[in-house]
Amino acid sequence: MTLSDDDLDATFAALADPTRRAIVAHLTGGEATVNELAEPFDISIQAVSKHIQVLERAGLISRGRHRQTRPCRLEPDVLRAATDWIDGQRRVWTERLDRLGVHLNDLHNDRHNDRRNDRNHP
Amino acid sequence: MTQTGELVITRVFDAPRELLFKCVTEPEHLTHFWGPVGMSTPIEHITVDLRVGGVFATVMVNDASGEQYPSRGVYTEIDPPEKLAWTEPDSGMTTTSTFVDLGDGRTELRIHQTNVPPMYATPESQAGFNSSLDRLEAHLADIT
Repeated sequence: MTLSDDDLDATFAALADPTRRAIVAHLTGGEATVNELAEPFDISIQAVSKHIQVLERAGLISRGRHRQTRPCRLEPDVLRAATDWIDGQRRVWTERLDRLGVHLNDLHNDRHNDRRNDRNHP
Repeated sequence: MTQTGELVITRVFDAPRELLFKCVTEPEHLTHFWGPVGMSTPIEHITVDLRVGGVFATVMVNDASGEQYPSRGVYTEIDPPEKLAWTEPDSGMTTTSTFVDLGDGRTELRIHQTNVPPMYATPESQAGFNSSLDRLEAHLADIT
């Protein structure tokens, strides 16, 4: 799954809040109702509902349609797409720096060879 | 990773920092390493206008498919040979490179990339994200 830049912004923005991360972490244990999710927090159910809406808009969670309690569940693909994106950035820089190391080696060897040639052909 | 969508990579090179700074700011050096594995960055597609507000643009080309990946940044900080930063206006992504002289001819290069616009990088987001995300990833690996 690949997310657009706008989707990534929404996903990272949603995850930039500790309460919402705690909600996501809770949901890794299985689906839960808003009341269950609100329990550990010292904030109103209303405030928790707002956090849940943000997570839902970002696609990180979905809510059941049929039961009255509309339990929340995690959408792992969206979370994975966000972490994959970071992993991709890390890979680009890791490989780039590997090649920079090779390039520096080449420069060093070239200088060494130049000096040797200078000695041979003064 | 220290915060949401943020990346820190450090690497020690056996080279003086003046040379490392040249490598990341001169097209004739950049063309040798800018593309990751499987990608090239032709020197004619590298623009370096080394001043604050100047453009840093590259086009990486996939060696197999020929597909092009342009990227355009604007320098926000230039302090040779210690620090270099640019922002990509399209994504709001900022990359800061810090060059630390280790005193024995080696240099530590620290790449710090914020992947989301700064408005999302709240102080609260810095705490705990790493561990919770690690946990989530471990869990996702278990359930899928």
